[in-house]
Amino acid sequence: MTEKNPQEPTMTDCADFQDRLPELFETNANLSDEEHLKHCENCTALVRDLEYIAQQAKLLLPIHDPSPTVWDNIRSAIKNDATQNSTSSSARSAT
Amino acid sequence: MSAGQTESKPAQHHLRRNPPIVGEAEAIAAAQAGDEKAFETLYALHKRRVYSLCLRMLGNVAAAEDLTQDAFLQLYRKIGTFRGDSAFSTWLHRLAVNVVLMHLRKKGLPQISLEEALEPSQDDGPRKDIGARDLRLSGSIDRVTLERAVENLPPGYRLVFVLHDVEGYEHNEIADMLSCSIGNSKSQLHKARMKLRDLLRTGQRKEAAV
Repeated sequence: MTEKNPQEPTMTDCADFQDRLPELFETNANLSDEEHLKHCENCTALVRDLEYIAQQAKLLLPIHDPSPTVWDNIRSAIKNDATQNSTSSSARSAT
Repeated sequence: MSAGQTESKPAQHHLRRNPPIVGEAEAIAAAQAGDEKAFETLYALHKRRVYSLCLRMLGNVAAAEDLTQDAFLQLYRKIGTFRGDSAFSTWLHRLAVNVVLMHLRKKGLPQISLEEALEPSQDDGPRKDIGARDLRLSGSIDRVTLERAVENLPPGYRLVFVLHDVEGYEHNEIADMLSCSIGNSKSQLHKARMKLRDLLRTGQRKEAAV
């Protein structure tokens, strides 16, 4: 029977580490200091992937504009609003 | 290479995406006074981000354009109530997010409350990654692949991911926009990234099998 390496991470270690991960990211903690990552390839890969995904998200910055029709529609709706407002204020002052 | 040796941390190098815009304050004041030209300026400054948010949330150009129109019409009607307590773009995004969520509710797409949107069912959520060796992402992810994976995120995850990782909003701003806690925003972002990783790995495994 092979003896278990005391440094080999257990599933509980991984679960605990992954529970703490959101806060570690948010506080910009230095993950290289994390003892768990020194022994766990799986969580190391996870951290690297999550960092990579966050970096790549910048590729998704908006690049498309709405068609010019959108502004045309907004402008005519604004004109309608203005017409309705002036009609109703004229009606109010007439009464 | 260990995780600690990776080149950068996302939050540290995350560029602010809503810096102050030259001329915006003047345009806001003028639009509040009823200047239509100034309102057009505000539209020109913000149309792309509002439209992109709608497009990402709906995945449909026609619907995204309709909602962009609704959002700016609401802006026109409510701009007088903007007091500058938050950045204008944050305020406008909050308005646009509400328009999108209202639309999703009206469509009856799973009766979506903000709380539900922010807390997808267990089936939709990410799993912890324990003991799944050699399943990490391989190679690079291009824009199209990532865009497609983001489309497949549950709406609440997608919203927080887009607002934080793509648009660069801070958690306190997102919490304000979505009327949720900062902790909730942080937790949703983490789950969104985990779920994206799942989706991207699944895609890579399918590609490898072909």
